[in-house]
Amino acid sequence: MDRSPRPLLVLMVLMLLVAACGQDGAPGGEAGDGQAADGEECQLEDDEVRVGVQGSMSGAHADYGAQIEMGATMAAEEINADGGVLGCPIELEFADTELDPEVGTTNARRFVNEFGAHFVVGVDSSGVALALAPVMEELDRIFIATHAATEKLTEVAVFEEGNESVFRVSVPVYQDAIAAALVFKDMPELTRFATIGADYEYGRTAWAMFKETLSQHRDDVEFVAEAWAPFLTNDFNPHISTVMAEDPDFLFVTPWAGEAVTLLRQAQGAGVFDSIDVWWQAMGGSVDVLEGVTESVQADAYQGKLWATGRYLFNYPDTERNQRFVQTFRERFDRLPNYSAATTYTAIQAIRAAVAEAGSLETDAVIAELEGLQLPSPLGDEFHIRAEDHQGVYSVPVGRVVYDEEFGMACVCTDLTVFEPEEYYRQPPFES
Amino acid sequence: MDAATLLYQGLVGLNVAMSLWLVAAGLTFAFGVLGILNFAHGSLYMLGAYLGFTFYGSLDLDFWLALPLAAVTVGLLGVLLERFFFRPIYHLDEAYHLILTFGFVLILADAVRIGWGGVFLIPPLPSGLAGTVRILGRGFSVYNLFVIAAGLAVAVALWLLLDRTWWGRKVRATASDREMASTLGIDTHRLFSVVFGLAAAIAGLGGALSIPVQVVTPGVGTAIIIEAFIITVIGGLGNLSGAFVGALIVGLATAYGILFFPAIELFLVYLIMALVLLFRPQGLFSGR
Amino acid sequence: MAGDELTTLVRAARSIRPGVASPRTLALLALLVALALVPLLGTYPSWVMSQVLLLGLFAAGFNLLFGYTGLLSFGHAGLFAVGAYTAALLLLAYPSLPLAVVAGTVAAGVASVVIGYLSIRHTKIYFAMLTLAFGMMVYAIVFKWRSVTGGDDGVVGVPRGILGVPGAGIEFGGLGGFYYVVLVVTVVALYVLWRIVRSPLGLTLRGLRDSEIRVAFAGLPVRRYRLVSFTISGLYAGLAGSLTAPLVSSATPPMAHWISSAEPVLATLLGGVHAFSGPLVGAFLLIVLKEVIVRFTEYWLLVLGSVVVLLVLTFRGGVVSVLAPAVQRLWSQRRQDG
Repeated sequence: MDRSPRPLLVLMVLMLLVAACGQDGAPGGEAGDGQAADGEECQLEDDEVRVGVQGSMSGAHADYGAQIEMGATMAAEEINADGGVLGCPIELEFADTELDPEVGTTNARRFVNEFGAHFVVGVDSSGVALALAPVMEELDRIFIATHAATEKLTEVAVFEEGNESVFRVSVPVYQDAIAAALVFKDMPELTRFATIGADYEYGRTAWAMFKETLSQHRDDVEFVAEAWAPFLTNDFNPHISTVMAEDPDFLFVTPWAGEAVTLLRQAQGAGVFDSIDVWWQAMGGSVDVLEGVTESVQADAYQGKLWATGRYLFNYPDTERNQRFVQTFRERFDRLPNYSAATTYTAIQAIRAAVAEAGSLETDAVIAELEGLQLPSPLGDEFHIRAEDHQGVYSVPVGRVVYDEEFGMACVCTDLTVFEPEEYYRQPPFES
Repeated sequence: MDAATLLYQGLVGLNVAMSLWLVAAGLTFAFGVLGILNFAHGSLYMLGAYLGFTFYGSLDLDFWLALPLAAVTVGLLGVLLERFFFRPIYHLDEAYHLILTFGFVLILADAVRIGWGGVFLIPPLPSGLAGTVRILGRGFSVYNLFVIAAGLAVAVALWLLLDRTWWGRKVRATASDREMASTLGIDTHRLFSVVFGLAAAIAGLGGALSIPVQVVTPGVGTAIIIEAFIITVIGGLGNLSGAFVGALIVGLATAYGILFFPAIELFLVYLIMALVLLFRPQGLFSGR
Repeated sequence: MAGDELTTLVRAARSIRPGVASPRTLALLALLVALALVPLLGTYPSWVMSQVLLLGLFAAGFNLLFGYTGLLSFGHAGLFAVGAYTAALLLLAYPSLPLAVVAGTVAAGVASVVIGYLSIRHTKIYFAMLTLAFGMMVYAIVFKWRSVTGGDDGVVGVPRGILGVPGAGIEFGGLGGFYYVVLVVTVVALYVLWRIVRSPLGLTLRGLRDSEIRVAFAGLPVRRYRLVSFTISGLYAGLAGSLTAPLVSSATPPMAHWISSAEPVLATLLGGVHAFSGPLVGAFLLIVLKEVIVRFTEYWLLVLGSVVVLLVLTFRGGVVSVLAPAVQRLWSQRRQDG
């Protein structure tokens, strides 16, 4: 057997190098350490408010987890500098869901049982959120979802099955599907609709909801083609040619993050924008996607036909609160805040408000305060949490993607349409 | 469905096939000669994409310079891998080859995260290749035509190299009987290093070629390797011309599968892989 | 080689000495007591140990095929998922845990017979690739058959059910109760596996690994033995899966993905391929190492990958092969001293 020490040496050097580089890994990290400022005595049963924060922090969707981490870090820093929650500091712990439900539930258990977390916040994928819901009920702690979009989380788990432990501050799939249908129903020139869909619950549900809403308002539309791409697709050319064979004038596109950018780039090459009128990129308002398409938008590769929304857009609402949030965030992290950052920031603020009101960290008491909570937030001055289904309520516009000098990148900044939440949020009781 | 649609989808399938061939070629080549089925081959492809991004997207080098630079860099890394990590384990059971190279899948996935961060990357299209041409009445990407041409060029170059040169003869001799080749005075150690370096360089080239039309993320390595395995298996493990045909089969099955059987497209390729292994384990087109 | 087998046989026979509690038996008893006391440490340790036990069970069964029979499967996650999904769906319909676990195990067993029957036509790399393809077919099915499996959302909100049938059974208080179910099932299943390994069947399988021709020459049906080995390991994968679903309250597609198939491989390699306890020690190390390392660095894959490379290059016998002789030396030294 070759017992040469060289491979070991090489390996050790590699690991050392990595250890050296790994030092400046995550942003924040230690947020919330120590006492809250101005030395006020902590008035809660524990001497700190512990929040476990998890998101996708590795792989193709790592930026969503990073944004979740940044949003939580910033909220905790601000709260702790401002005297904490009833004098108690907020302490954060972070974990990677790896977009795997089993990992997500394991993290939650570690948060609660080891770290002593009073709250679990975050989660990007619907699968992780749905798996987490019953676990949080078992652990008797509150989970606030800040990105996962499945309507089942609030409509079924909370409203139908009565899982009181689950809340969501981010707008669900209503935004991707119903708001879009309400905008495009008023463009009579659009009649042939097709989808390049994410081949999982999110993409399927969004397309079904979109079709349903559009059909309620228009009887002259046709749904001409569907192509479904599984998670982590990197070659969408066959999907593009499949739907383009039916000559649609509207494309409903749900693959998100890097996949959205790949898809747009490949569609651009195939001349898709010469023959369609609207490309609806459901979560195209995500900062990572906007950064990825900026150069193409500047070169007018999409001919102004790219429409998008998000669960929050940094350029809306035009309130002082939001402007301050965006500015502070940019100064702190040198990035624009994505929706997962804004919603997670809001979730931490909601925790502060509810705990302060309840005067206790006891789960039932905090749930009671979170239900119906009114919380002016970067998401909107009118932001509140519905008591019936624990869903956060605010409006995000639908609009066209253009290049913006002020932000120095592409943004959903023009032809904005804003609906009142009542117009496009589904209302309890939800009849299917 | 008219003939033009069918033909056009076939052309799209050809493009899928050539992108996959660029991954499968090196995997098959290395297995054919070294007998190592390299789980980390997709990760070398990913590394090529990241390096392509750095050379072309960040350092602003010419695209035509960035391609060979990325390929050569990954090739050199391949030589190091072969020399220090694979050479000690040739004599071991194949299971250990798979496991060792799987270890490198894990290492490289985190290494690129450290080097390039977790956010996906994509540079602009190279200016000469950014346009669209009309084929069969529809638009088709010039860049994709270029990828098809590059895939064919790699196939022809490999064939010429192995079939028409003295070095190619040595490689083939070593592949069919390692000890005999050694006895005949071929420096097999050196030959293995070069072969593996070349295989890695092709993967690096494939990765760098993908960067203007596909974002690169730390997950690319594991996403692409299974497709490469499927192709290598269909072609007959180690059989290069088989792998070329295998890539065509998978490319066309994917393109037509999405058009005609969207419900089972995911299942289809694994079914083909299993059927080939069951009934023609030597590969679909091997005479053996 | 034939001599080797003979020695093993003789050694196995000698180790059965009724009435005498060997140091090994004592150590095993101590370990069992320690495991039984884990819930006293709190909920989280029970949770981690449940995962360790189930991965250990999965890996130990896997190692019958890998270490003892010499076949590397990259598709066992598919069988694990068959067990998990069957148990999950049944528990949602009818909350009897024993029924769900038996059904999940049997379903995985049936799948193993079919997949195994086809796969054992090959060995080595071809076998690995074939099992990979079958495993990914299971993945494609659970991902695409949305009406039954829930697609990528999976089957969620799986109850732990009750021990017995509804109306006449024990309900679990929390995780602690379920931990004991996992512990008892694992211990019993491992004991059965241990007997299998020591039986003539186990010896034949090892013979197959070392030299197929000799076994064939002895007039034994090689393929049938391989199929038996594959099926047993599949049953263990299914058993682990059917207990994992109620533990984590869900059954989801990643369970079936080839990346998950690497887990028992890594656990086995880490602990040691050639020792019965190898996969168990490996499962413990794999899960506990991750628990520790993710607290210090976000680059857990890099650490794991480096460990894997190191093990293959230097300690292919795994941790057990390094520790066991050391422990033995220590033991004999102490006996001499005493």
